[in-house]
Amino acid sequence: MRPFDLRLLRAAPVLRPALAGLATLGVLSGIATVATAFALSAVVVAVVTGTALAGPVLWLGVLFALRAALAATTEVVMARAGVVASTAMRSALLRRLGTLPAERRPERGAAVTLATSGSTAIEPYAARFLPALVTAATVPALVVAALVVVDWPSALVVASTLPLLPLFAALIGRATAQSTERRWAALAALSGHFLDVVRGLPTLVAYGRAERQVGPVREVSTRHRHATVRTLRLAFLSSAALELLATISVAIVAVLVGLRLAGGSMTLGPALTAILLAPEAYWPIRRVGTEFHAAADGTAALDDVLTALDEGRGAAVADETLQQPAAPAAPTAPTARDLTVEARGLCYRHPGASADVLSGLDISAAPGLTVVTGPSGVGKSTLLELLAGLRAPTGGAVCAPAAHLLTQRPFLAAGTVRDVLTIGHPASDEALWEALRRVRLDGVVAGLPGGLAAPLGDDGFGLSAGQRQRLALARAWLSPEPLLLLDEPTAHLDGPAAETAHELLTELAERRIVVAVTHRPELVALADAQVRLARPVASPASRPTRALGGLA
Amino acid sequence: MTTASSARVDASRGRARRPVWWPSAGVLRGGMLGGVATAAGIALTATSGWLIVRAAEQPVVLTLLTAIVAVRAFGIARPVFRYWERLVSHDAALASLAEQRTAAYAGLVPLTPARLGRRRRSDVLTGVVEDLTDVVDAQVRVTVPVVASAVGGLLAIALTARLSPAVGLVLAGLALAVAAISLLALRLESSSLDTLLAARAEVTRVSELATGSATELRAVRGWSTAMGWLDDAHADLARSSSRQSAGRALAAGLFLVAVAAAVVLTAGIVAASALPGPVKALLLLTPVALADAITPLADAMRALARAQGSAARIAALLGQAPAVRGRPSRGGRRRGMGGTGRAGRPAAPHIEVRGVTASWDDGPDQLGPVDLDLAPGSRVAVVGPNGSGKSTLLAVLGRHLDPRAGRVLWDGADVIDLPLEQTRAEVALVDDEPHVFATTLRGNLLVAAPSATDSDLHEALDRAGLADLVAALPDGLDARLGGCDRALSGGERARLAIARALVSGRPVLLLDEPVAHLDLPTAQAVLGDLMRAEVGDHGRTIVLVTHQPEGLELFDRVVRLDRPGSRGE
Repeated sequence: MRPFDLRLLRAAPVLRPALAGLATLGVLSGIATVATAFALSAVVVAVVTGTALAGPVLWLGVLFALRAALAATTEVVMARAGVVASTAMRSALLRRLGTLPAERRPERGAAVTLATSGSTAIEPYAARFLPALVTAATVPALVVAALVVVDWPSALVVASTLPLLPLFAALIGRATAQSTERRWAALAALSGHFLDVVRGLPTLVAYGRAERQVGPVREVSTRHRHATVRTLRLAFLSSAALELLATISVAIVAVLVGLRLAGGSMTLGPALTAILLAPEAYWPIRRVGTEFHAAADGTAALDDVLTALDEGRGAAVADETLQQPAAPAAPTAPTARDLTVEARGLCYRHPGASADVLSGLDISAAPGLTVVTGPSGVGKSTLLELLAGLRAPTGGAVCAPAAHLLTQRPFLAAGTVRDVLTIGHPASDEALWEALRRVRLDGVVAGLPGGLAAPLGDDGFGLSAGQRQRLALARAWLSPEPLLLLDEPTAHLDGPAAETAHELLTELAERRIVVAVTHRPELVALADAQVRLARPVASPASRPTRALGGLA
Repeated sequence: MTTASSARVDASRGRARRPVWWPSAGVLRGGMLGGVATAAGIALTATSGWLIVRAAEQPVVLTLLTAIVAVRAFGIARPVFRYWERLVSHDAALASLAEQRTAAYAGLVPLTPARLGRRRRSDVLTGVVEDLTDVVDAQVRVTVPVVASAVGGLLAIALTARLSPAVGLVLAGLALAVAAISLLALRLESSSLDTLLAARAEVTRVSELATGSATELRAVRGWSTAMGWLDDAHADLARSSSRQSAGRALAAGLFLVAVAAAVVLTAGIVAASALPGPVKALLLLTPVALADAITPLADAMRALARAQGSAARIAALLGQAPAVRGRPSRGGRRRGMGGTGRAGRPAAPHIEVRGVTASWDDGPDQLGPVDLDLAPGSRVAVVGPNGSGKSTLLAVLGRHLDPRAGRVLWDGADVIDLPLEQTRAEVALVDDEPHVFATTLRGNLLVAAPSATDSDLHEALDRAGLADLVAALPDGLDARLGGCDRALSGGERARLAIARALVSGRPVLLLDEPVAHLDLPTAQAVLGDLMRAEVGDHGRTIVLVTHQPEGLELFDRVVRLDRPGSRGE
């Protein structure tokens, strides 16, 4: 792992102030700690020699108060840095995913993990490990500098033993790396067993095998205990070794100071200061060691997130235009580009597939209703996604204005009816009621408690499949985009409802380009043009014309 | 509820009543060892002060020897005892983890699946595993440091009190102040924890929504709205995190203020005393050294707040009564009801549902009343809006939930009167969260049918549409799945669950939204393959629950449910 990943700051510039604040606080705390050693030894000297106590005690009190304030501020800034780091990375990641064509997006499970636990794991790295690193780099230097002033032989001892700590840590780490790695892997498998069995409980219960696993759970947990203790022994031993090393170094300082004190070549004040200062040089380095393990998950997650961000960089460019908030799609003055959809030599192959789902397709569509028909699995939905710019063609080109695509499983957010209808664009309540009237859903919504403000659950909780489809149609009616793409818009509607929807589509087609995938002959009969997709035939010679596009 | 399962539940309740920090014998021993380490640390600083001041008086070096040996002993004792403490307390905590895991698992069995919530059961179960870890973590991260600080602190107070009762009193006051600040820290942490966890959960929900529905969101130009939700959730998280950190900041500051007050008071007392110089230094440095014993308490209170929340969640989950009456599964007993159909498979029972209502909790009915007649070999799809009780019906049919009213008859007999294990053994259930065990493909299938032969397994995989996958796996049936091995896609997981159900040979197949999370082409392919495989094999009763209208043409009958109390569309 990289202890300090500069890419984090580049990817999340908002993190800079918080990290700079933490670094400053770390250095200030270091200075306050060093000053406390001076004040404390002054107090002891004053008490022992019976000189004026008020001054040193006041200083000590002020310094403790300062350290209290610094500690409190550090807590606040640390929490802020952690949240800023995780939210900035998650936000960047999701925004990047949103600009990627569907086939370039990582697999759903992996993406969810990156955006949730992955981004959260960055928090301890940014909030604890990075500041610990800064403290380890500055505070020991400060202590040594102070010691040079107070008592240079002590400074020499500390300066020459300090590098031993990271050296020993590295040596121990290297010597045990192999066995540690092996043990952690075994450990992960053992602790994974319990999670696996518990998550699989519904399956085990369903097949009457759950009770039988109680014994194995006990047995594996016990093995997990022994394996963990074996692994931890090594970790504890190495941290004890580092502490012992630090203690011995401080003891050397103490012996040298004590001998000179007893010999009369040194006074009490500097001696006490040196003794109190020396340990402060060692703990920041030991703390890095403790935080290192906690931060290891974070750096791994950070690496994954940053890699995902880098991967998306090239692909997103062509798409950015589509993601601009739909230019208030001036229906009054459509430009020439708004008036046609053109695709030339369009090819598409799903990632990992061995054959194209669409190959060499030419279509064009103008304002009016164009229907796309063909057997299932022939690429009709893929074609709509290509026209909407949600997928990048593997060959050929698409030229299309901004589109609203009504997918087969339309997205209906958890929220109110109003939230569902206005997700892409704001609209007045009058417009919303008008849209609901068009799909004959106004009665249903008026009957809901709260009307437009009635809450719907995820996926349109409480609405039937047909009602959900009509709600999505109302949303399409409200959308200002000049191109309307509809995937089986009336598949789940019964006769009268489908008729209403078909009327709505023909009306929409007077002003806009409407492309609908459908199996319904009634809708095909209303169309101005038809695109028939056929399954590609093995022999190229006998391949029929794949498409008949354009206005009839 | 039977005696066996009630005893288990009571045992888990009894365990939950004990506070999470309650130490086991081993952890207490660890705390004592930690106390010695802490005391050694305090003594190291204090005796060093004594030694330096005494050395400055330039005595005969021999008179310093005892103190030098003592300093050396304390310096070595601290890391050694710390190491010992960590070994002992971690071993004890892991022993209690093993015990609690076993007990929690056994407690979960009779509650699964009906008491785990309606959806996202695997998240609930993952939560149990994490909560258990947090609870046991409290032993190491709360009990040990608190005991160690208390032991070390009391030793220090007792020894200083012998040298100077007044300083002992000051240090006792410091101990009381630290205890009070710790309790305050715990309160502040607990009070901000719930909102913080809720904010984190909301961030997770929005992230999952955005990643899972990216195409659908962008299709309706709703992506920027979704990013707005994310920003809102993030702002909420930042707010609750800063609220939590305010509490932590207060505690961290107060600890240092308390130490400062103790140091200043001690300086005043010691300066006015007639004690020898070295003893003065020793007394003066003791409160400073105590700060090292106090610092771990801040982290301990955070861990305690978290563990208390976790323990409460576990107790609430395990404290529920099972959702089904009847004899508990005892293993070993195989079905023996009804006749035998073709291929040695028992014939499906004739299931009649009469006026059944049901609910997952004590609230209003979430199903029915509903009537349904399932002759052997029926292929029925149950549709209806969310909340109409489709999954509830399936849980009743699968004997995972008792009806509240009405009766379910199997071949004319009320299922309540039939042994639970026997009726459940007739039913294979596939839900929308198919679990893949971290074992071989064979192991994943044998869960459902321990005595199945390889050719049985291959046949089931074939019929579930997984023949290509098996052919592509290098080790075939012995290929390891799940975990970090070969990851299966969502479609493959659904097919594996179906293969499992097929190989079980159980005559009733219940499908609870098995393809809800799959993209449309995959969903249709999975369902289509299953129903094609069942063509001409009319022994098996199949009931599919779905809120999506695809694939209904594959079924003989479509039953529409409405939300209880509503009049429908």
